[in-house]
Amino acid sequence: MRWVDAIIQGTLLGGLYAQYAIGMSLMFGVMRIVNIAHGDLVVLLALIGISLAAVFGLGPGFLVLLLVPIGALVGWALQRFILNRLVGDDPLPSLIATFGISIALQNAMLAIWSADTRSLDAGALASKSFQIGEMYIGLLPILVFVTAVILTAGLSMVLKGTKFGRALRAAAADRDAATLSGIDTKSIYAKATAVAVGILGIAAVFQATRTTIAPADGGGQLIYAFEAVIIGGMGSIWGAFLGAMVLGIAQVIGSRIDPGWGVLAGHLVFLVVLAWRPQGIMSRK
Amino acid sequence: MSEMLLKARALCGGYRDFQALFSIDFDVAKGEAVALVGANGAGKSTLFKTLVGLLPVKSGTLTFNGRDIAAMPAHTLSRQGLALVPEGRRLFKGLTVEDNLRVALDHARTVEPGETVWTLERLYDLFPILAERRRQVVEKLSGGQQQMVAIGRALMAQPKLLLCDEISLGLAPKVIGEIYAMIPSIRATGTAIVIVEQDVSLAQRCADRIYCMLEGRITLTGASSDISREQITEAYFGVKHAVG
Repeated sequence: MRWVDAIIQGTLLGGLYAQYAIGMSLMFGVMRIVNIAHGDLVVLLALIGISLAAVFGLGPGFLVLLLVPIGALVGWALQRFILNRLVGDDPLPSLIATFGISIALQNAMLAIWSADTRSLDAGALASKSFQIGEMYIGLLPILVFVTAVILTAGLSMVLKGTKFGRALRAAAADRDAATLSGIDTKSIYAKATAVAVGILGIAAVFQATRTTIAPADGGGQLIYAFEAVIIGGMGSIWGAFLGAMVLGIAQVIGSRIDPGWGVLAGHLVFLVVLAWRPQGIMSRK
Repeated sequence: MSEMLLKARALCGGYRDFQALFSIDFDVAKGEAVALVGANGAGKSTLFKTLVGLLPVKSGTLTFNGRDIAAMPAHTLSRQGLALVPEGRRLFKGLTVEDNLRVALDHARTVEPGETVWTLERLYDLFPILAERRRQVVEKLSGGQQQMVAIGRALMAQPKLLLCDEISLGLAPKVIGEIYAMIPSIRATGTAIVIVEQDVSLAQRCADRIYCMLEGRITLTGASSDISREQITEAYFGVKHAVG
């Protein structure tokens, strides 16, 4: 029962990682951009949310409604004014640019919010849980997981069944041919990054209710998103979701073996997948 | 000649600092079929890319339907009715046949009243095999079928002018025949066509007029019926050839 519990808790933890990873996967799949600032954007949105909650007394639900459009706007502006100038066949310029943005964001956040850790109060939701046999499953982790499933399925459906999704996939497959078909690729890219960072608005609220947040935490969140995307297969939305589950389960099982091994176990699984199937589990190649 | 659709005068273009087109004069009338011939490296594809906005116009004038399009981006030109079937097809891999077509349909030019509308059904009538393969990803199609999708995708943009860059390249003669058989059907809708073709005889049969290019310049132009093979050969290679 201990290991069943570990798998369930790991899957639920994977739900949070999936919320980081699907946006990163979308950006890589469509534009070949590895967004190094992805984790810092989660932290930025979380800190904005914590400040809004402190000033206006808003609950997590209201914060999600505010942070998603704020995230989308930040993502749109990031792509429109910076990344669109760098996107192309060579991923290096955008990689360096997002690295620079990451450092700039961390320093800006330190200046505004200081290095103190902060968190959001989720009220009774944070401690509510269900008992199934000998296992206790928290309501908040279930909510995080269900949200991740809805986001992944929703994004996947948008990509497959809508005009916007077709344009995104066409621009990802061949930028020039997409342009020749009447698609304004720069506008599509800005919308894709708006979606990717908008999703982080939800992830930020869950992250801040689940644990504490500090301006320098972005790197850790980036690593988990990055590992999930690599494990699943870069550019695949469901691959990123699956990768997040694998990472979450590996971390929880690792921590059950030894409390200090959780993060290490995740990294080891990532390295094993990288060596065994570098294109990722769900890649067709 | 009927009303002019595309008009280039003293057009110069190329890649960054490299000039590949020199003072090109190029016209296409509404509903006309024009062939553009020339050896590899003559500048045919570069001219097409310049016309559709993928490469910049360095100097000269370029109008489409009476509007200056020299500085227009490619996606806007597509919505004005200028479509290109690119060399090598450039299909959207990972997308089905129908999704490839729908992408262009989603961003198509708004058709004026009285004009023929290219719908999926009309296209499937033209290329019945595509109706059977509509749910397949395009990588699984044969070369000829992929070319049909590339032409179909361009038609879904509701073009007034269709530019076809080497649509017979790498295809079997029978398939080339099938592909070229659709040209009268497309012209019947009022769409003008410019084809780049290596097979000069085929180009002469399909087109009302011919342009020949050599080293980035137009070296010959005239009605297909008025131009002899010897004239084309001379313009194509830039030297007089002894025949026989």
